[in-house]
Order: sequence, then C-alpha cells, then structure tokens
Amino acid sequence: MVKRGKLEIMRDILRIIQENHNSIKATPLLRITNISSNRFKKYLSELLEKNLIKEVVDKKGGKFISLTDKGFKFLERYGVIVNFIEEFEL
Amino acid sequence: MEPMTGRAIFEGFGGAGFRNLFGLGFGAEIIYSFIIIVCSLMIYFGTKELYELSSYKGIKYFRQAFLFFAIAYFFRSFIKFILAYFNIRGILAFSPWVFGSFTLFLFMYFSSIAIFYLLYSVMWKKWNGNSDKIYLFHGLALFLAAISVLLRNPLVYFGLNILLFLFVVFVVYAIYKHSKKGIKGHNLYAIYLLLFIFWILNIVDILIPAFFQTFQLFIYLASSGIFLLILYRVLKKTGSN
Repeated sequence: MVKRGKLEIMRDILRIIQENHNSIKATPLLRITNISSNRFKKYLSELLEKNLIKEVVDKKGGKFISLTDKGFKFLERYGVIVNFIEEFEL
Repeated sequence: MEPMTGRAIFEGFGGAGFRNLFGLGFGAEIIYSFIIIVCSLMIYFGTKELYELSSYKGIKYFRQAFLFFAIAYFFRSFIKFILAYFNIRGILAFSPWVFGSFTLFLFMYFSSIAIFYLLYSVMWKKWNGNSDKIYLFHGLALFLAAISVLLRNPLVYFGLNILLFLFVVFVVYAIYKHSKKGIKGHNLYAIYLLLFIFWILNIVDILIPAFFQTFQLFIYLASSGIFLLILYRVLKKTGSN
C-alpha cells in the first residue's frame, strides 16, 4: 500500500467531512480516515490552526467538525496544488 | 594589476554611466530589470493562493526565490532610475562609491539567496525538510556579497563564479539523476540550469563589465526569455489570468 502524503491526508479528511453533509463528530472521522489516533490529533489541530475546518457545538453540547470556506476552497483547488507541485518538483 | 570593480560602482552614478543615464545601454538595462521584476512578482503573487491554502514548504521556498529575484533586480538598476527620475541626486552626490557598493552588495546578496531558495525548493524533501540549511545559504549569500564589494579583483570574481557554477551544476545534476519524472521533468531542469547559467553571466556582466560588452543584449534577452518561460508555466499550472 502506498503511503499517503501530508496533503493527500488533509484532502481525505476534508473530503470525508464534506461527504457527511459538512458535519461529523471526531470519532467517526478518525475511524474513516484510517490513520493513528496521534496523527489524527495532529492533523486536526493543524487543520483548525490553518482555518480549513471549524468546531461547531450543537444545542445538546455535541461537538461537530465542519469545513470553513477556506476548507471548501482547498478541496476545489487541490488538483491545481498537486499539479503545480509535480510540475516544479517541489 | 589594476583592480576592476562592478558596474554598480564604476558605471553607477559616479562614472561615465551617469552622463549616459538615459542612453541605449541604461535604457536596455532598465527595460530588462523591469521585465524580470514584473515576471518575478507575477510568479510570487500568482502562487499566493496555492501557498495560503496548502502551507506547502516547497511552494513557500519557490515563491520566496522569485520575491528575492525581484528585490535583487530592483537594486541592480531600477533604483537608479527611480532616484534619477524623481531627481533625488543628493544621495548620489554625497558619495557615488558608497551608493554603488551598497546596491552591488544588495544585488549580490538577494540574487544569490534567490538561487539558493530555488534550489532548496526542489531539494528540501531530499534534505529531510531540514530548514537549518536556509541559515547556511543566507551566510553564503552574505559572504558572496561582501567578497564582491570588498575584494575588487577580477581573478577573485572569476574564481567565485566558477565555484558557484560548479556548485549549481552539481546540485542540478543530483536532482536530475534522482528525478522520478520522465522527459517532462527534465525539461524543467533544463530551464533551471539555463536560469542558473544566466544568473552567473549576469554577475560576470555586473562585476566585470568589459567582459561581455558585445553579448550584453543577448544576455538580457535570454535571461528575460527564461523568466517569461517560467512565468508562462506558473500561470498555466495555477490557472491564473
């Protein structure tokens, strides 16, 4: 199995959130992304820090993860980013 | 041997170049610098969105390389044009040698660091993302700039340029050899190699003006062509207008 790169994992996490009507809890997200718990925590805090995702608390106090506008933009431009990196071997 | 100095020192505002400020030579240099600055800034701002979205280190170093190119060419000749155009000659009258040395130092520093960043943008993953090398590159660029200003000797300049050229060829060859890409990827290395060669020719042109007098226009045209080609590839890939 080919190891996924950082950008690819970020894309996968964001895509899973998007496919779940832009609202998913951390536990099922961890299960679907198929990475270790430690790595998942690191990715999640990085995505929050980069403002690609946000945490939303519902009326019952449940924490959900949603994409921000920047997160949607990332998914939209992911192909361009990867093409650019490949073109210039960055 | 009589010491030879850089174009920025002898042909700056203190020498004959001042009398022919708007002559053909200076005009061509201004247009050339303008093209390089515009291309570099378009590459820098054209890749802004991709970097902001991905925070990818390779894109960061690539963008910074072109920002440094823009700054280097600003100090190479464009600053002379601005000072002359706005008639700020007090600075120049104060000490043309100091002004020339200062701009030469900045050009050498920023153009060297631009080349090093461009190399680093391709090599950072192979060097395990170790960003300590950045400090080494800044030190090396400062050393090159200081040597250029302090030791005004053509033999030292030639030695420096040969060393730089060998360094660049070695690194590009190492990247080329380990590249997983086919002919398409090798195209990029050909462009980078040409960019590095013309960077060195530009430095020789500045430090030893008499050396390339006949081919100066050719160097300007070829260097502009390389920058335009890189800009074209960047715009094509980023989908910028």
